[in-house]
Amino acid sequence: MREQPLKEVTQLIHAIKVGMVEGSYSITNKTLDIFKYIIMSKSWQNADELMRIVRAQSRIMQAALPQETVTSNIARRILKLTREEFDLLHAKIQHFADDSQASLSLHKLVTQTSESNVSVDYSKPQQGLREALLDHLQEVETELETSSENICVQAEEHIHSSEIILTLGHSRSVENFLKRAIKKRQYLTIIVAECAPSCRGHNLATKLANDKTVDIIVIPDASIFAMMSRVNKVIIGTHSVLANGGLRAACGAYTVALAAKHYSVPVIVLAPMYKLSPLHLCEQDAFNMVGCAEDVIPYDSLPAREAKVYSPMFDYVPPELVTLFISNTGGHAPSYVYRLLTELYHPEDLEI
Amino acid sequence: MAQFEKEIVQAVLIADNNVWNFKPLSDDNSTALLPLVNVSMLDYALIALNRSGVEEVFVYASLFLQNIRDYIKQGIETYASWSFKMKVQVIGGEGCRCFGDAMRDLDAKALIRGNFILLGADTVTNADLRPVLEQHKRTAKFDKGAAATLVFKQCSNNLRTGNELLIALDNRNDRLHYHQRLRMNQRETRFPIPLDIFLNNSSVALHHNLLDPQIAIGSPSMLSLFSDNFDFQTRDDFIRGLLINEELLDSRIYVALLPPTQYAHKVNNWLSYQLVSRDIINRWAYPLVPDMGVYKLQQEYVFHKDNIYKSHDAHVPKVALRENVVVQTGSHVGTGTVISNSVLGANCRIGKNCELSNVFLMADVTILDGCQLEFCVVGTGATINENCIIKSGAVIGNKCVLPAKTQLAKKLVSAVKPSQEYVLETIGPHAYIISDSATDDPGDSDNEDLLPQQTQCIPKMGDLPSHLQPEDSDYSSSSEEDGSRAPTPLPDDTNIFLSEVVDSLTRGFREKSNPDFLILEINSSRYAYNMSLKEVNFNVVKAVFGMQSIREPANNNVLGAINAAFKQLGTVVSNYIKSPDAMLDCLKALEDVCEENDLVREKISQVVHYLYDKDFVTESAILAWYNQLDDEEHATLKQSLTKLVDWLNQSSEDDDEEDDESE
Repeated sequence: MREQPLKEVTQLIHAIKVGMVEGSYSITNKTLDIFKYIIMSKSWQNADELMRIVRAQSRIMQAALPQETVTSNIARRILKLTREEFDLLHAKIQHFADDSQASLSLHKLVTQTSESNVSVDYSKPQQGLREALLDHLQEVETELETSSENICVQAEEHIHSSEIILTLGHSRSVENFLKRAIKKRQYLTIIVAECAPSCRGHNLATKLANDKTVDIIVIPDASIFAMMSRVNKVIIGTHSVLANGGLRAACGAYTVALAAKHYSVPVIVLAPMYKLSPLHLCEQDAFNMVGCAEDVIPYDSLPAREAKVYSPMFDYVPPELVTLFISNTGGHAPSYVYRLLTELYHPEDLEI
Repeated sequence: MAQFEKEIVQAVLIADNNVWNFKPLSDDNSTALLPLVNVSMLDYALIALNRSGVEEVFVYASLFLQNIRDYIKQGIETYASWSFKMKVQVIGGEGCRCFGDAMRDLDAKALIRGNFILLGADTVTNADLRPVLEQHKRTAKFDKGAAATLVFKQCSNNLRTGNELLIALDNRNDRLHYHQRLRMNQRETRFPIPLDIFLNNSSVALHHNLLDPQIAIGSPSMLSLFSDNFDFQTRDDFIRGLLINEELLDSRIYVALLPPTQYAHKVNNWLSYQLVSRDIINRWAYPLVPDMGVYKLQQEYVFHKDNIYKSHDAHVPKVALRENVVVQTGSHVGTGTVISNSVLGANCRIGKNCELSNVFLMADVTILDGCQLEFCVVGTGATINENCIIKSGAVIGNKCVLPAKTQLAKKLVSAVKPSQEYVLETIGPHAYIISDSATDDPGDSDNEDLLPQQTQCIPKMGDLPSHLQPEDSDYSSSSEEDGSRAPTPLPDDTNIFLSEVVDSLTRGFREKSNPDFLILEINSSRYAYNMSLKEVNFNVVKAVFGMQSIREPANNNVLGAINAAFKQLGTVVSNYIKSPDAMLDCLKALEDVCEENDLVREKISQVVHYLYDKDFVTESAILAWYNQLDDEEHATLKQSLTKLVDWLNQSSEDDDEEDDESE
């Protein structure tokens, strides 16, 4: 059975491919809008049907955009939400009102497997499910909107006056984080690795340099190691966080992390919750994306005919090189990521 | 209220280019639907337009119209990525035989409302055309006569694929002054550029390293210019016509160069097919690369190192794929087979111990054990049996079945038997080698190009030169040649007249048009440029010999080419060459031709004899001409003619004697 994609889904996929929607925050936002539209639509009668639609659409997006994991993450959140709301309403109607059911604690999760052998029948129509879901969706939306702000607030805890900070490329959350730090602390020096070939580090540097109170140094990627000995902290963004606490981050992040390890500099990764993906690094080839050869050497040049030119977009950074994740809910160690994942997503939804 | 409506960006896509160049694969389907790295060329063009923000596209096709319609419909149903925010309409008619006809038809239908993007369906580009469109709008504001902006791409590569250009343009406003397509097969030793270009403009830039990807921005006036000038057949005709009659038509052409980071190339023959395939696989045309899935919703391939793109459900051992390979779904490769620089379509089956390099397989191809394929194309559903060796630009048509141990090089093979005279060899019940040179073109009007190519032999795939060799030696030698040759400069009008006559004759020859019409055309050109009868006689003969088919004959068989040309155009020539004076002009023209064409010089006596045989010239004219040839200047010419003249003298004496006897 092949599901037909919704018009909104195909449009979003196209927009992302063409580059009209960029950045994981806006992709997440747009995906959430689509699921909200699905929930509001009259195409489903019970929780089972809704979950099937969400799964199907998410699968389509995943097949079209395998690198954009945030779309599936949001789908998993929606599925989990649906399950919870259904259980809650179900319990209420059965007059088994049990407050502990609303929030599944670790203890509950561990013990649940034994007692809930009988899987819940989601196909029963449930009154008021739609409204409850929309209510909860509102919460998710606010969480998404405030995630960047919530991360920023923690800037003061991690950055202190007259520190030297190194970052790489241009990440929206890193930009806000550093701006906040610049406001609160004095005598900061920020080193920006330009992150060739797209050189998005230049953008970050110009945006930060608007504040006169801070020293900005832009360096080529090759000098990351040379500069690292002076650096107090490395702060980078990431494309997504994998299940083991490793990163799929902009190309160059591995260099930074290894150099930081060598000089024992802490590496802090800013990752809002929606970037947490229950995925493992399995096949190195499919993991990465390769960009345009033209960025690396010009088409007309002599070696262009014979040479193989790669311009990879991502680096895998193993979890042991990461000191701390800062998400909108606070700081976490890489080894704690699995726990966050079980809290965020339902175990049955890990495979969509 | 109309002025408040947002102007929609429109585009015209011309399908059915290079039909002859892609034989025999162009026999069964439109060339626009020919897959290039497993995606049809039409898709590439539509994607390029979609990425440039075009909202309405008219696909103009004349052959296989229904196939294209179905394809577009299917594309919209399967959410092809060009179907978003873009309306695609297929139009066209059976009567449309060239690019000019398409333009005139569009004008008559009045579908185009403003400036539009004009693209061939064979263009592969990742360029954003919006800035070019803006530039055109700006120029159109200053110059109401701006008819078109041509888009070119700079490219320093020495390979000739028939898309290379030499242009002269005004530095200050990017106006085009001179436009010359570089020759495909041989390198020019000189470029004649009219002097007025430099006299009339204070700053002129010459670009000799341009690629023409067949992209243009047209003003609404471009279409009406085609309607007014019914003799414009191709885009090149249009450009030449406008450049010559700038004042008369009050229209000008401008040029835009693409920035170096943007890729654009035209796929007009197998050579450029190979080139562009390689560029796509090597990710120069990013994001138009296989693993981005820009054409379909689903991503089809997984990218592995060494530029290997493998579909999820292809059964291919990893060791079989060396480098730069694309393998689509359902393909199966046996053990011991090695593949490099190749494209495999869907459901291909390749046996054991084969060697494939630079091979382009369409869907459902079966290759059995032990074959060696190199630089070749295999059409849909073809079968190649055991131990075949196929190389150097061979093209195997759709559904061909090659028997075991076939050895082929540089041949075109078709599965269906065409009319007997064009089959060179039959190698199996479903395999016929067909002729590839356009001089033997049966003139089948169905196969007429929308954009006729000047090339006579279909360029084939082959090993691309790996280095950009410096060409200095070529140019230095040419300067020496210049001194020795010292050509007499012809007055300008004569030159134009000559080139027009050459054009008329070439077209007439190709299309087998009525000689009366050709005579009419030549006569009208004659009055346009105020030529005397003597000059006309001289130039007509010169033009016949100046045709491409004689200048660059297939297999160097110049006599065959001349015979073919005169069979067709003899009536035209004999219309002019009637009087003894005219015959003398004719022979003088031949003398000129000898200077320029080595092949004719070698065979001059046969050529003259041929003309004598066919009663174009009389023996008295030949003798008169021979006597007035300068002994020193034309020593070799005279020498080669001696025998003929002796023979003529002999026969005339015989005649005289006979006459005497009869008296």
